[in-house]
Amino acid sequence: MKQGDIVVIGGSAAGLTAAITARRHYPDRKVLVVRKEEQVPIPCGIPYIFGTVGSPQKNLIGDAVLEKNGIELLLAEATDIDREQKVVYTTDGEVGYERLVLATGSRPVMLPIPGCDLEGVYSIVKDVEYLSELQQQVEAAKNVVVIGGGFIGVEFADEINKIGGKQVTIVEIAPHCLSLAYDEEFCAEMEKVVASRGIHIRTSARVERIAGDGKVERVVLSDGTEVEADVVILGVGVAANVDLAKKAGLRIGLTGSIAVDRTMQTSDEAIFACGDCAEKISFFGGQPSSLKLASIATFEARIAGANLFGIRRENVGTVGVWSTSVGEVALATAGLTEAMARERGYDVVATTIQGPNRHPGAMPGATNTRAKLVFERHSGVILGGQVMGDATAGEIINAISACVQNRMTAEDIATFQVGTHPALTASPIAYHMVNAAEMAIQQMHEQGA
Amino acid sequence: MAKILVIDDDPDFVLAVRMALEAHGFEVEEAATAEEGIEKVLSVQPDLVILDVMMPTGYEGFEAARAIREEHGLKDLPLVILTSLHGKRQVPYRFAPDETYLPVDVFLDKPIEPGALVDTINELLGERREEPKYPL
Repeated sequence: MKQGDIVVIGGSAAGLTAAITARRHYPDRKVLVVRKEEQVPIPCGIPYIFGTVGSPQKNLIGDAVLEKNGIELLLAEATDIDREQKVVYTTDGEVGYERLVLATGSRPVMLPIPGCDLEGVYSIVKDVEYLSELQQQVEAAKNVVVIGGGFIGVEFADEINKIGGKQVTIVEIAPHCLSLAYDEEFCAEMEKVVASRGIHIRTSARVERIAGDGKVERVVLSDGTEVEADVVILGVGVAANVDLAKKAGLRIGLTGSIAVDRTMQTSDEAIFACGDCAEKISFFGGQPSSLKLASIATFEARIAGANLFGIRRENVGTVGVWSTSVGEVALATAGLTEAMARERGYDVVATTIQGPNRHPGAMPGATNTRAKLVFERHSGVILGGQVMGDATAGEIINAISACVQNRMTAEDIATFQVGTHPALTASPIAYHMVNAAEMAIQQMHEQGA
Repeated sequence: MAKILVIDDDPDFVLAVRMALEAHGFEVEEAATAEEGIEKVLSVQPDLVILDVMMPTGYEGFEAARAIREEHGLKDLPLVILTSLHGKRQVPYRFAPDETYLPVDVFLDKPIEPGALVDTINELLGERREEPKYPL
């Protein structure tokens, strides 16, 4: 029987990061990863296999990092866990453990629409063989329909559109694409960018059925209109892989994910879970959160990996930080949007600042950048932010996320010490975050908070 | 005593669920088809409904869930899908609760440990009591 002091099941973003973290925190312990996939796709890179990157083979997490960190890899599927004996049963023998980390990930969600089992209907499965088949089908198709206008749906549509010679349509049930992450004004602007690239968008559109004779031919919407389709891709979210945990008798939460506490410990003290398979709570209010992102998976893995032989870190809850880009335009978000904050009952002050991200605006590469910050009126604490601009939006939002996670106030941000440079950033006089905070403070004072 | 309606066309499974739930003090009502189930939702007024999916017409349970929510307006009645759909079809994806297309609270796969089913029901009915792990 193989033996690892620390055994990690799963080798994607969460599993790999948990193993590396465990190695860093417990250098004398043997770390072993059990992974069923020979090749692991980079989850966030999947949309780019169609256009920018060109192939699933160019979108893989390499194994060199395991070797470099002295982590053993067992290519096998874990089939059962004996919690009393502390043994994992795999398709390639038994593995003993002292501490176990479950990073079993997620599977895509399929909507129970009539016709969802027709040939040509795909979900986004993180499997190289499946994705290669999807890529072939997409390349041969004339009409592609993407159901779900979240960031994955938009990125898939844009990348498939880049192949050329296809009519690509996004079907979204909400009034706007991306509306779970951005306020309406940003969604509307991004929809214009997407449409300008020749992609059709059908919003407020509920799919009634997928129709065809054995193979998909069209998507029928609830208003009776039809969209021709040779391939339909559903990008509507993912559900936790909990089969192994459930079989082992671990507690499963109401969201269908493995129940964990703030230390990422499951209902068994020797077993931790992180990533898409683990239940999440929101940073705001502590309710269960359904957000599943690779960046969340890795931050949870850094908590799980560090806590295996003594609690060193705690999970403050999921802030929700992510970005997307279409062409030259990037859109990024952290925390609550204005609409989400109001819906949750916060008394909100929201301010938006627009201006170039270089100074003066005539500097090469200067792009008009818009930043919106959302604050709670009485405490002045920042609840979230959104940025639209060029690629720099991706890092500006990370600075905003740091403010959110540290519950900084508008006053803290207004006096935030920023480093600026004409070729790199907005002007120190008109720095977006700082000025948005100043405007918010003014509004709070005017309204007598 | 909470009343649970089990809509499933497999009598052996319904019997097993009945025994497990009655042992925990629940009252159990049964229906073998979606149609009968919806009738009982209205007549018996259960506190929670457990629905299978693969009843005779294929995805009958999905349709029944939508009908309970949309046609009969029972937005707050806890609905649990309990099905062997994923195991039987071996598809690379999962069905999961969705506000529009699959308006249920929880999607569970058969087989399920009776204790896990009871835990889910208790959580949905707000009756979960847990001893704190550490005294504060």
